[in-house]
Amino acid sequence: MPAELPWELRRRGIRDARRHDQRVREAIRKNLRHLVTEEAIISSDGQRLVRVPIRYLERYRFRYGLPQSHQGVGQGKGEPGERLGEREGGGEGAAQAGDAPGELTFETDLTVQELARLMLEDMDLPWLEPKGRATRSRELRFDEVRRVGSLANVDKRRTLRENVKRKAARGDPRPGDFVEEDLRYRSWREEPRLQTQAAAYLLLDRSASMTLDKKYVAKAFFFWMVQFLRTRYERVEIVFIAHDAEARVVDERTFFAIGSSGGTICSSAYRAALEHIRRHHPAREWNNYVFHFSDGDNFPEDNAVAAEALRELLVESRMVGYGEIVEAAGPSFYGSPEGRAREREAERPRELERPKSLFGRALARVGDPHFVAVAIHRREDVYGALRAFLLADHGG
Amino acid sequence: MPLEPLPERFQEVLEQARALGLDFFELRFEVVPEEIMAELAAYGLPTRAQHWSYGQVYNRNRLFGRMGLSRIYEIVLNNDPAYAFLLDTNRPVENLLVVAHVAAHADLFKNNALFQETNRHMVAEAAAHAQRIDRYREEVGDERVEHVMDIAMALEQHIDFPEGVHRRRYEESGAESRPGGAASRRDRPEERFAELFPEEEAPSGRELAPPPLPPHPERDLLWFLANYAPLTHWERDILEIQREESYYFYPQFATKILNEGWATFWHARILEEMGSLTPEETLEYARLHAAVVQPGSRLQVNPYYLGYRILRDVEERLGLERLWQLRREEDDVSLIQNFLTPELAEEMELFTYGPRGRFASAGREPDLEIKSRDIEQVREFLCRPRYNYGAPLVAVTEVHHGQLYLEQLDRHVSGLDLEYAKKTLEYIGELWRGPVRLVTADAEGREVELAWDGQESRRSRP
Repeated sequence: MPAELPWELRRRGIRDARRHDQRVREAIRKNLRHLVTEEAIISSDGQRLVRVPIRYLERYRFRYGLPQSHQGVGQGKGEPGERLGEREGGGEGAAQAGDAPGELTFETDLTVQELARLMLEDMDLPWLEPKGRATRSRELRFDEVRRVGSLANVDKRRTLRENVKRKAARGDPRPGDFVEEDLRYRSWREEPRLQTQAAAYLLLDRSASMTLDKKYVAKAFFFWMVQFLRTRYERVEIVFIAHDAEARVVDERTFFAIGSSGGTICSSAYRAALEHIRRHHPAREWNNYVFHFSDGDNFPEDNAVAAEALRELLVESRMVGYGEIVEAAGPSFYGSPEGRAREREAERPRELERPKSLFGRALARVGDPHFVAVAIHRREDVYGALRAFLLADHGG
Repeated sequence: MPLEPLPERFQEVLEQARALGLDFFELRFEVVPEEIMAELAAYGLPTRAQHWSYGQVYNRNRLFGRMGLSRIYEIVLNNDPAYAFLLDTNRPVENLLVVAHVAAHADLFKNNALFQETNRHMVAEAAAHAQRIDRYREEVGDERVEHVMDIAMALEQHIDFPEGVHRRRYEESGAESRPGGAASRRDRPEERFAELFPEEEAPSGRELAPPPLPPHPERDLLWFLANYAPLTHWERDILEIQREESYYFYPQFATKILNEGWATFWHARILEEMGSLTPEETLEYARLHAAVVQPGSRLQVNPYYLGYRILRDVEERLGLERLWQLRREEDDVSLIQNFLTPELAEEMELFTYGPRGRFASAGREPDLEIKSRDIEQVREFLCRPRYNYGAPLVAVTEVHHGQLYLEQLDRHVSGLDLEYAKKTLEYIGELWRGPVRLVTADAEGREVELAWDGQESRRSRP
């Protein structure tokens, strides 16, 4: 740098880069409601980095509607009217990508777990201590300092401090002339640790009335709920139970596959979950979470039976959630880009309604603080539903 | 650390440059690592006020650098003395070429007409700007300062370069042109904004009807807002700082093709004339030079190549003397209009291209096609992005009952991206602290008016 520049003004790049990253996170936070149902994310395996589209981080300015990168001067052979194909990537072209109008997003890499953590932060829930069930392991923590120990474990920084302290007391604060009493050793202690484990029971109505879009909502919800549980528990097991008039434990792929044409008996799913819990995840060792998604179109005679099954399930579970998916009027449910843009305009978290179906109301009458039921009208409600369930878990 | 004393071979290059006629400010060289280079490239000056958008570019430069996608060999600053930065991984021959290249840039900075008004002490000036903005951050908080900087940067392209960086308010220049005219309103602060609210003006027969504001469509939005919007001291200063820096960078923007062509032309001439290159070095130089003047891609003509070809052609046709005159007088637009001949364009196989069909659908990458090989078209398409920082021409046309009216003057070329325009208009409204309107055109070319009343945006057909 030119020598006359003051020191405090140098090396600003790193600071501004950090501020930029912070803005990216803010932008993500503002978009969480939409990211919750972002196809690319909930279809990922939850391990790798995901590309998170960010809107809102644009540098606004006046720019032409017809992007300047779509016209210009090129070179080579060819007659007027000849097709040139798409613009090549890279180089100047890539730098100009921001000139395109419309819903241009630029992306950032985050792990799904980071995203889940951002959501939990955004939901403003205190970090809940999971209930540990058994002392399964001991953790060694290397954070004690002692006056005796093996020379290999000398804590140099602390030893130096002691040395200087001792010598300073005699008027010579320079390090050197180490004696036995200066030496400090690092040491370990044993700490018992709670092995925490949870089982997530995901129950999905796959009867004929459950359209693909409704299932998509359930899928988004399940995806994030499992991520949240994973931030909290060391071990999370997932059990998928699909039901129509009958319930079956299935694998993940079959779970979301096209459903049957049969009717709906929700109690069958609750019974299947109960049975599975009692056999594999007894409540004294497991934090059981049960989530059921349906459109509430249950066989009327089953409503009371299901409510009774719910009562039994609550004894074995840390919490039970029920989401009733009801299609809203208008295109927003299907998340068309235009619909999404409109919603972003009128963006305010909505109060979630209670389920209105006879089935939903029968469940609500069980009246247990560990049971939460919400109605979901559109994709953006998923975020609120997640929050409602997590909040209830805190109350419990 | 400055490179002192200058290596002998660097001196040899500079002596050769002077012997050939180049005339430049004193050059101070410094060798820097890649991350400093990335930072210099992001900020454009060693020091500017902090802003996250520089961090964004810095991140990208560093990433590209690490991935080997792009390497920044040198940066030279228009300043007296001129500061030149060399990448610490440059090989010896690369550095000789870069030093010659830098000397020619510095020659153009010093001699080209467009640069005559630029602040030659901008390095120190920008540092002072940064310190002032740091102080505002302490006084009113990071968030508020950053937000006003967001706004200033959204408008950074909207200056009116020929008017010059130092301008007086309309009524002052008006008073000058009318002998014995009314005293400056600035002397009477209570009337400074009176013209914004004519209906509230105290009835007085003393003055005739106030002159319209602005008297002509005003393209320098930063200047207009800094002078006529009810801003606080620090807000105004941020706009003025942004504007000053925009003026400083504009000549470099407007002479990109000329400047790179000029530097490339001379680094070749200087190295070819230097007696001390070994055969290996000559070979390496030839390889480097070929990389600098590679033509580019089918849809993107490398500006170094374009400028170099035009200058070589001028030398061949009109002689070296013409080149010296050209480096004083031209910018990219006039260079292309006056010196890109039909023969050269044909030899370079230049054509214009655009989307197939009349309008590209929004957000989609359109199919492109060759449009024309007509020289007028080629010149027009090369020049269009070289005007006005490549930004649409937006002007303030009227202030009426406290409302600010803006208009996109070149909407016949293409209307604005309406989503972006809406946000930018909100920014302007925030500074104006009152309603603002903007006339532009939609994707079909029909006139459309955007309005912002401080609460919500509307769009309508006027």
